[in-house]
Amino acid sequence: MKRTSRRTLAATVAAAALFAAGHALAATPGVGECLDCHGDKTIEKSLPGGRTQSLYVDLAVYRQSVHGKGSCVTCHADAKAPHDKLGKVNCGKCHGDAEKSYAGSTHGMMHAKGNTEVPGCDGCHGKHDILKPTNPKSKTFRLNIAGTCLSCHKDRALEARYSHLPDHKLIAAYEQSVHGMAVKKSGLTGSAVCPDCHGNHGILPADQPKSATHRQNIPTLCGKCHAGILEQYEKSVHGKGLRAGIAESPVCTDCHGEHTIVKASDPSSPVSSRNIPKTCSACHEKEAISTRYALPKKRFSSYMDSFHGIAVEYGMTKAANCASCHGIHEILPSGDPASPVNPANLPRTCGKCHPNAGPNFAKGVVHVEVSPKKAMGVFAVRMFYTIFISALVILFVLHVGLELYGRWNRRRAAGQGGKEGRP
Amino acid sequence: MSRADLASGQVIRMSLLFRLQPLMLTVLLLVLAVTGFALMYHENALAQAVIRLEGGVQNRGIVHRVAAVLLMANLVYHIFYMLFSREGRPELRDLMITRRDIDDFLQSLRYNIGAATEYPRFGKYGYKEKFQYWGAAAGTVLVSITGFMLWAEGFSMIFLPKFVLDLAMVIHGYQGLLAFVILFFWHLYNVHLHPSVFPMNPSWITGKVSAEWLRQEHPLEYEKLKEEGLL
Repeated sequence: MKRTSRRTLAATVAAAALFAAGHALAATPGVGECLDCHGDKTIEKSLPGGRTQSLYVDLAVYRQSVHGKGSCVTCHADAKAPHDKLGKVNCGKCHGDAEKSYAGSTHGMMHAKGNTEVPGCDGCHGKHDILKPTNPKSKTFRLNIAGTCLSCHKDRALEARYSHLPDHKLIAAYEQSVHGMAVKKSGLTGSAVCPDCHGNHGILPADQPKSATHRQNIPTLCGKCHAGILEQYEKSVHGKGLRAGIAESPVCTDCHGEHTIVKASDPSSPVSSRNIPKTCSACHEKEAISTRYALPKKRFSSYMDSFHGIAVEYGMTKAANCASCHGIHEILPSGDPASPVNPANLPRTCGKCHPNAGPNFAKGVVHVEVSPKKAMGVFAVRMFYTIFISALVILFVLHVGLELYGRWNRRRAAGQGGKEGRP
Repeated sequence: MSRADLASGQVIRMSLLFRLQPLMLTVLLLVLAVTGFALMYHENALAQAVIRLEGGVQNRGIVHRVAAVLLMANLVYHIFYMLFSREGRPELRDLMITRRDIDDFLQSLRYNIGAATEYPRFGKYGYKEKFQYWGAAAGTVLVSITGFMLWAEGFSMIFLPKFVLDLAMVIHGYQGLLAFVILFFWHLYNVHLHPSVFPMNPSWITGKVSAEWLRQEHPLEYEKLKEEGLL
């Protein structure tokens, strides 16, 4: 309230001053005078290449804008009637913080270098038609902002011109994501929109450490909304690893995706029951990672060879996947007493699906890696059968060969006698 | 033995009830092999195609278990038949492995390398038939037991540790493979490719063999039938 009244006061003072000035300097025009020319719908200026740009200003639209109670010269300070090309509008005169933060952003830095394709203030906020972000008609309203960003970032030509831009399809995938659909289909203003993750004026590419979307900042970023999950993640081996500076430790987007993010129940999600083994094994089947962090190896192949793995592979999603036993966001190493795969907790963990699996059942390894060290029994039985079956086949062949040889031999010997021997 | 059979020189080797058992075994083992090996070698593209053909792992499992139940029923019937029926008991006697079978085997080797002049004289079943019979029988029993353990996994988990079930799974798969290899190769040779029966010994359908074949291949049985006045 206080702020509003102060602003009103400022506006009144300004208006009074302008009014006074208007009388003193006949060259400083009021809105009405500007509209004498700019109210004409046909007014335009020529641009190089034969194109033209309309200079028409719709008074009604301007009046409804957030600045509609002001005057043209507040922004176009050098305007006289009539006038030549005007100087650039400097929004920073009033919006100092925004200008400062914009200057440090990737848009701002390119803008400062003279690039006219990156959005300035007007690129996102509009010009004479600027509305408050809380106004549902505003280009920066939560339900509209994605469309505003995508008006450039969906543009294939733009992507081709700026090679460092991510694939436009990837960015546009947001629209089909769980966040995008919540906005577009369900009209929820609470869902994540572009600036929630990327920031607004200070937007930076994710590879810069200061960027809101830099790996190291992702969990905190997602945790702004998913606070409960962040709390679990921070306690997990992955969260602790990341906080200890291990950049390889997975953050939210490594498993869930970013612009493509969908619900875990969606079959296309990388964390759906069907896909989760592949997602986890993107790291856990990597020799280098297993060696570097002294993790058990062959987790994926041993799982895929189990009944659980085969069942999941063929779409029986009620079978256990990685997360069923190891947990999801709160995942812990098996040595931790709180881990569901800690030997002491295995009966309870298996018991979630197999009520009869007691402490007795939990004896033996779960990921059966067939080697003498890890699973001697299975290894020995497999070896025995392999040798036995091979030996048997060889003996069969020898026996058959010997019989045929004997037969051939006897036939040759009996050649003169005429009487054929036994086969 | 009817007169008609005698006139055509045919000897009944297997009764209809007896023939039915290996026939069932053949059909069921094929179904079990196709469904089972698809799972055992599930990373192989052909196996995956077979699983899809069977309608996914769930249906594959159902087909496999239906065939398994029938096979076990066949096995139980066979055990009763061999132990308690008038027709089966003599068969079991004939199939018992004796010292003589080892001698026969060694003599056949000697005969074929030319170190012996006489080929061993077999009764109704020679060492080859006995080997195949007992190999298949032992395999079927072992596969049935391990298969049951895996099927009733909830029950098995009460008193069996996981590593025992892991072993059961490996044994089940490889014993199946072993049975399949014995039956396939040995059977292929004995009743198809062997010069005396090539291309096929028809007795598995007709139950009959010629008296001449019997005299040559199973002389002791031939003489026994002759003594009993059945020939």
